[in-house]
Amino acid sequence: MLITCPYCGPRDVIEFTYQGDGNRERPQPASQDLDAWNAYVYDRLNPAGDHNEIWQHSGGCRAHLRVVRNTITHEILSTAFARGGHKAEGRS
Amino acid sequence: MSPRRTETGGRIDRLRTIRFTFDGAPYTGHIGDTLASALLANGVTLFGRSFKYHRPRGLLSAGVEEPNALVTVLSGEVREPNIPATMVEIYDGLVAVSQNRNPSLAWDIGAVNQLGGKILSAGFYYKTFMGPVFGPLKGTRFWMFCEHFIRRAAGLGKAGTAPDPARYERMNAFCDVLVVGSGPAGLMAAKAAADQGARVILAELEAHFGGSANWSGETIDGMLAADWAQRTVGQLEGNDNVRLLPRTTVWGYYDGNTLAALERVTDHKEVAAKGEPRQRYWAIRAGTVVLATGSFERPLVFPGNDRPGVMLAHAAERYAVEYGVLPGQRIALFTNNDSAYRSAVALKKAGAAVVAIIDVRGDVSTEMRRLASEAEAELLAGHAVVATEGGKALTGLKIQRFDAMSGALSGDERSIHADSLLMSGGWSPTIHLASQAGAKAEWDPARQAFLPPTPTQRWIGAGAFTGSFSTAEAIAEGRAAGLQAAGGAASSAPVPVVEAAPGDPDPAPVFEIKAKGKSFVDFQHDVTADDVRLAHREGFVSVEHLKRYTTLGMATDQGKNSNVPGLAIMAEALGKPIPEVGTTRFRPPYTAVSIGSLAAERFGDLKPERLTPMHDWHIANGARMYSAGLWYRPMIYGLPGETVEQAYVREARATRGSAGIVDVSTLGKIAVQGPDAAEFLDRVYTNTFSTLAVGKARYGLMLREDGLAFDDGTTWRLGEQEFLMTTTTANAGKVMQHLEYFLDVIWPELRVTVTSVTDEWAGAAIGGPNARAILASCVTGTAVDNATLPFMGIAHGQIAGVPVMICRLSFSGEMAFEVYSGAGYGTRVWEALIEAGKPFGLVTYGLEALGTMRIEKGHVTGAEIDGRTTARDLHLDWMLSKKKPFIGSAMMDREGLIAPDRLELVGLIALDNRPLSGGGHIVEQLDEANPHHSLGHITACCYSPALGKYIALALVKGGKARHGTRAFVSDPLRNRFGPIEIVSNHFYDPDGSRMHG
Amino acid sequence: MAEQPLPERQSPLEPDYHPGSHGNFEHGVDVILSETRPGSILQLGAWPGEEKRLIEVIRKVTGLALPDGAGGGASSGARAVFGFAPGKFTVVDEAEGLAATFAGVITPAIGTLTDLSHGRTAIRIAGPKAEWVMAKFFAIDFALPAFPLGAGRSTNHHDIFAQIQRSGADQFDIYVFRSFARSFWKALCHASEEVGYEVQ
Repeated sequence: MLITCPYCGPRDVIEFTYQGDGNRERPQPASQDLDAWNAYVYDRLNPAGDHNEIWQHSGGCRAHLRVVRNTITHEILSTAFARGGHKAEGRS
Repeated sequence: MSPRRTETGGRIDRLRTIRFTFDGAPYTGHIGDTLASALLANGVTLFGRSFKYHRPRGLLSAGVEEPNALVTVLSGEVREPNIPATMVEIYDGLVAVSQNRNPSLAWDIGAVNQLGGKILSAGFYYKTFMGPVFGPLKGTRFWMFCEHFIRRAAGLGKAGTAPDPARYERMNAFCDVLVVGSGPAGLMAAKAAADQGARVILAELEAHFGGSANWSGETIDGMLAADWAQRTVGQLEGNDNVRLLPRTTVWGYYDGNTLAALERVTDHKEVAAKGEPRQRYWAIRAGTVVLATGSFERPLVFPGNDRPGVMLAHAAERYAVEYGVLPGQRIALFTNNDSAYRSAVALKKAGAAVVAIIDVRGDVSTEMRRLASEAEAELLAGHAVVATEGGKALTGLKIQRFDAMSGALSGDERSIHADSLLMSGGWSPTIHLASQAGAKAEWDPARQAFLPPTPTQRWIGAGAFTGSFSTAEAIAEGRAAGLQAAGGAASSAPVPVVEAAPGDPDPAPVFEIKAKGKSFVDFQHDVTADDVRLAHREGFVSVEHLKRYTTLGMATDQGKNSNVPGLAIMAEALGKPIPEVGTTRFRPPYTAVSIGSLAAERFGDLKPERLTPMHDWHIANGARMYSAGLWYRPMIYGLPGETVEQAYVREARATRGSAGIVDVSTLGKIAVQGPDAAEFLDRVYTNTFSTLAVGKARYGLMLREDGLAFDDGTTWRLGEQEFLMTTTTANAGKVMQHLEYFLDVIWPELRVTVTSVTDEWAGAAIGGPNARAILASCVTGTAVDNATLPFMGIAHGQIAGVPVMICRLSFSGEMAFEVYSGAGYGTRVWEALIEAGKPFGLVTYGLEALGTMRIEKGHVTGAEIDGRTTARDLHLDWMLSKKKPFIGSAMMDREGLIAPDRLELVGLIALDNRPLSGGGHIVEQLDEANPHHSLGHITACCYSPALGKYIALALVKGGKARHGTRAFVSDPLRNRFGPIEIVSNHFYDPDGSRMHG
Repeated sequence: MAEQPLPERQSPLEPDYHPGSHGNFEHGVDVILSETRPGSILQLGAWPGEEKRLIEVIRKVTGLALPDGAGGGASSGARAVFGFAPGKFTVVDEAEGLAATFAGVITPAIGTLTDLSHGRTAIRIAGPKAEWVMAKFFAIDFALPAFPLGAGRSTNHHDIFAQIQRSGADQFDIYVFRSFARSFWKALCHASEEVGYEVQ
């Protein structure tokens, strides 16, 4: 599987670390809503199809990426910096 | 000259003789020979014994699909089993042996299995050994009794046990166009793509490029096809954009057009050049792949089709044309299609007598009749072979009239005397890689074959792979594929002209001749047509179940010959058309791949090691090293004759008595910098760092999001916006990733950078009552007294002329300092400290003494922060700020995490004065025979020189409430039982007076 | 800070650094390996939106103009710079003390400066087979059109992180963590045996 890092270009999946379901919403830091925290920490979507995921290019530039991946075909539909901001200098 | 070697012809060099042995007997061959061709030339017909019945087997094929002639190649102590003799290039000194025979190939006691053929039919093992247990000789118990004998009798080559000294390598390659297969289609594709300026890799699994051009006898552009192939290869060789990879099998097609290939670099050489790997694993990332992998000829299924001397028609043609070897003197052919007629002519030309062509089809075309007479062969149309005769070699065959529509046999049997029977059951495109790439093959009723599917990845097919079996089509398709793959529109170069014998590519739909006797479908796994029918009768309707029940296609050849005939027989039994029965999906690898090549350079001593700046000093000064993850750290600096325990006790005692020094360079160190660095640390640590003064350090604790403890360490404030965080050695990478995740994903608004600076600093921790005096004697540029360097204070100075950063903190519980210098000065500073310590009796100490002193102090490490414990469990609740949220703060007070029966950190003292053991359980009542009711377990233990006792840290239910009570250690695995006392984890100097000085 | 020049730093490769020709060199030496031992290796980071200002600072201090685009880089004889991550750059100087020069000019509003002069080890591979040997370690395309002169790449070989700059048509500078440097060096020598190598 290849993931196209917006900075480094297409790289083999061995350079990346899966960092979890990208659909999770972290509650506000001071939130005491245990249900919301529970959902954030433990609930994971597991769709058969397109999935929003977080990957880190840990063996490269170390940026975290938002990746849309089809869990059936492994096709990567899009990748973007999770942090944003640096998009302008991405490799085309 | 060998008995079967022709006087001329082929690409072998008859002037250069090569000597080798097979089963201990010496043979000769020529440069260009494979083991198969050389043995065949020497008149060898028997190559192996079959898997289950131990039937004698000869060569079926001339290529990678060979199921019978598997050999083991010996090289010193190393043995490489299960290699097709057809793929072994001979070299001087080659030692090969046959397999699955006992005691010898010719006399094999396992051959009695043939007599029990009915018993050993499909499903024999399931039925015999998986049944319910009635009596002593049934079911799995019986299996356990029989397994040894069966494993010996059934099977393939024996794996070696000697270490493999060969070198393997991985290579990463990138190209615009990868062409797999170098027949006319592949060569044209590579040429067309290269001419467009594309970066091209051409991989050929055999030693010579050219594929069928090497033996077809056809003419391309007015020259012999083999010469045309040579010329084209020469043109490709001259192109800098082209990489030619002979002896390279592309065995895996993965996502993202990434392909795996195995290059056999030196397997064909007597001696490898210095540094040359035996095999090279190529990971190839291709823009577009051209699949020009050709096709396999299929055997026909009829009684006795596995007798030595029965061979695929094209294989015989290859042996004759390419290697100058005749498989026999009197040759008969048996076919359901036109391609065998060309083989007949080629063999006739090479000097063999072609006695008969037996064609299942009643209606044979005029062109084929003409070829038959050119071969001077009797044409027996509408006939089929019903039996073969002979033992270790073929002596003859029997035929009968055959109706291709009904499959019925009729009339009298007729005997034909022949020493070689060649069969052709049609051709199957080699679609394995396309199948691996993700889509399902489609059945073509005219070709009677599965054709490659519509691509789901970026590949283009060409030639026989697509079902276009003629060379003219292969050349046209190859050229088009090469152009398209390279993104070129058209080429003005003329298409090479092919002159070839005519032939209809469509065979008659005949796969099996049903007559009495064993008819083999899968030669390597000894699966017969009756086995397939038996599977059907017993209710196996899915092709996947058929495969598993009969093991059809599951041998090392992965059913290259047998898949389609097996499917056809199953379809007939089911009364369904073949496409409805379906085909199994091919998976990597296409051919066997050595584990060595996958491990590649990650082999032996090439596993990476992380070394501290003082590593060589430790080695030179008697340290026994210990691997902690990838790091190497001193365990003890033992004196002659000392045990490990004696050494660490001496080191710890000397440290507490005067001073000791330990290398702490492996501690994870992360630079946390930026205007929001303090705010960030407040969020990731349970305690507060924004209030920390510049020039001071603080001990910090991190939790995970779920509220459990994650890591601890000290963080030093070096500037208003600059912190140096330390982590445990083991968690450095995890903590770094944790911080990066929060900065990138959760709090992108924070202006903070984190950088691993673990390797920037050499660290030495010096502790003990004399530590300050030692520092004072060698540090310049700063005082080290209490006022300048209070507990958790940081000072900058010099040692031995280089800058150092000193922080007063303690892991040992003594007055202690961590001295950091640039890693390149690590040894220099270390040696200066050692020198300064000499008057004070400073000792170097290792991980064992470090661990001992931390246990005495009751400090936690990874053994206690084990992913299951909370801050409270570890008595670190004093570090949980109530003034701010932090990672884990919302989840840490969940019901289960504050329950009263949680395991809590305690200390243990062995009351029997014997060593405790890590992992041992704590119980209230000792029951050695039936250990139960564990209260918890020991996480770390040692002999404490400070207390003069064997002590331990443990996680125990009830924790503090049990202080002062007695219990028992129960460790049945190590047979350690005995009384203990539960105490506070702070064994030594609980009020910290030594550390604060 | 230090009045006298600092003493020489210890190389992590020392016991395994053997100048001379090795491996299959009878047929010629196809790669040359060396440790370049620069005095300064810095990592500079710009806050999002401040990259251009940082690039300008780098140009003023080093005289090296960074080309646009991810992984762009430039080098002169003594100095080199390249991007290795979004908003992040590695700057290398033969001389020590580059951190002090930058310290005054990279303000908190622009970004951060991290001194890794000791923490990274610089290894150079040069010669006609440099790409071939590098391809044994790293799954990136080393061909000149894909990896232009001066450009930088971040990648890894198993556990070993590496930043790589192309410093010549057939020359690469590899920056690895110091603690891994000896292991990597030994592996690099091993992989170069096939083509014949010289350690300078």
